Amino acid sequence: MKPASHGTTAATPFTRLLEMLRPDLLRFAWWLARDRSVAEDVVQETLIRAWKSRDELKDSAAVRPWLFTIARREHARLYERKRLTLVDVEEVEALGDPALATDGDAGLLDLRRAILQLPEEYREPLVLQVLGGFTTAEIATQLALTQPAVLTRLFRARNRLRTIYGLEPAEDAE
Amino acid sequence: MSAAPDCRHARLHIGAAPHELPPEVGAHLETCADCRRFRDETVALDGRLRSALELPLAKFRVDTRERAPRVRRFALAASILFAFVVAGGFWLLQPRSALAGEVAEHVQHEAGSWDMREPLPPAQVADVLREAGVRFDTSLPVVYAMACPFRGRQVPHFVVQTPDGPMTVMLLAHERVATRTEFSEGGYRGVLLPAGAGSVALLTRAGDAVPARLAEQIAAAVHF
Repeated sequence: MKPASHGTTAATPFTRLLEMLRPDLLRFAWWLARDRSVAEDVVQETLIRAWKSRDELKDSAAVRPWLFTIARREHARLYERKRLTLVDVEEVEALGDPALATDGDAGLLDLRRAILQLPEEYREPLVLQVLGGFTTAEIATQLALTQPAVLTRLFRARNRLRTIYGLEPAEDAE
Repeated sequence: MSAAPDCRHARLHIGAAPHELPPEVGAHLETCADCRRFRDETVALDGRLRSALELPLAKFRVDTRERAPRVRRFALAASILFAFVVAGGFWLLQPRSALAGEVAEHVQHEAGSWDMREPLPPAQVADVLREAGVRFDTSLPVVYAMACPFRGRQVPHFVVQTPDGPMTVMLLAHERVATRTEFSEGGYRGVLLPAGAGSVALLTRAGDAVPARLAEQIAAAVHF
């Protein structure tokens, strides 16, 4: 979601913008951190930082990628600062995290678990693309990768998920 | 059996970004039924992927509310509304349309949009339209305007106030529909309408279908 033109220095419209984007930001943070507490902290810090830096947002139409970028940095910073241990899939599943819950859709639950099991280098661009709506060029900029590298990672991410969806994997590029 | 080089190239792009294909892949798809099938499979997979990534925040928040008592200035009622909409039941009065289902799902995840009451300044709406390269000459008050990622594109997502209450309007420049299609998905009543080279999706939360005359007026106001 890219927002409309809001006076970014005016408190109310900017707060409303943040409210609108918060749900997707929280989901994005969860897929990065795979932990609700950490995701909540990342989003909280992201919103506070965004609020403090709101005058730096020159193009209000870019607020969504701007927030996602802040969230990525906050996530990295949080791990660096607190030296958090990485959460493995088994741990997340063992916790029975409600974030993964589906309303009886076993296929969707399988897909969520499969996404969790993707290596981070595949999962992150996929989340940026599908959830964030970023183009491959924008993802390349976000992740400091070349566009062909992003294409390859996205291809491999989906290829792994095809089998969960009952599809035959495609022939890999290499 | 290995795919031909053109097919391998096409499938790399399709598998990586099915909604962002370069022209040569588009041309290849015109002549290759296998790659078209691969594209269709991948697009269908992406619909599921989006559903999988859009975690249910209503459940998400059950436990987090019990943790640190931080000031949540930005907390939305969206999760509550989402739970309400889901609990409201699923009407299956019409055959399920994949596009309709995805539209309803998208709207469910932006449930906060229904809470907006104040008309937005015209310049604010114009910015969203400019971003998408679309014209929408409606006289109805627009109370919510965002350019949202949908099927790999940025699409204008509005809520307008009508005499019958709020109505979601999504301008789908890249989604063709053959005919007017009414649907009932996820507690919403809606209609998909052809509009130029694309389509328009209208949704209400009310029990009644979207009024036909109003739907036609809105569709006529859209120019892709």
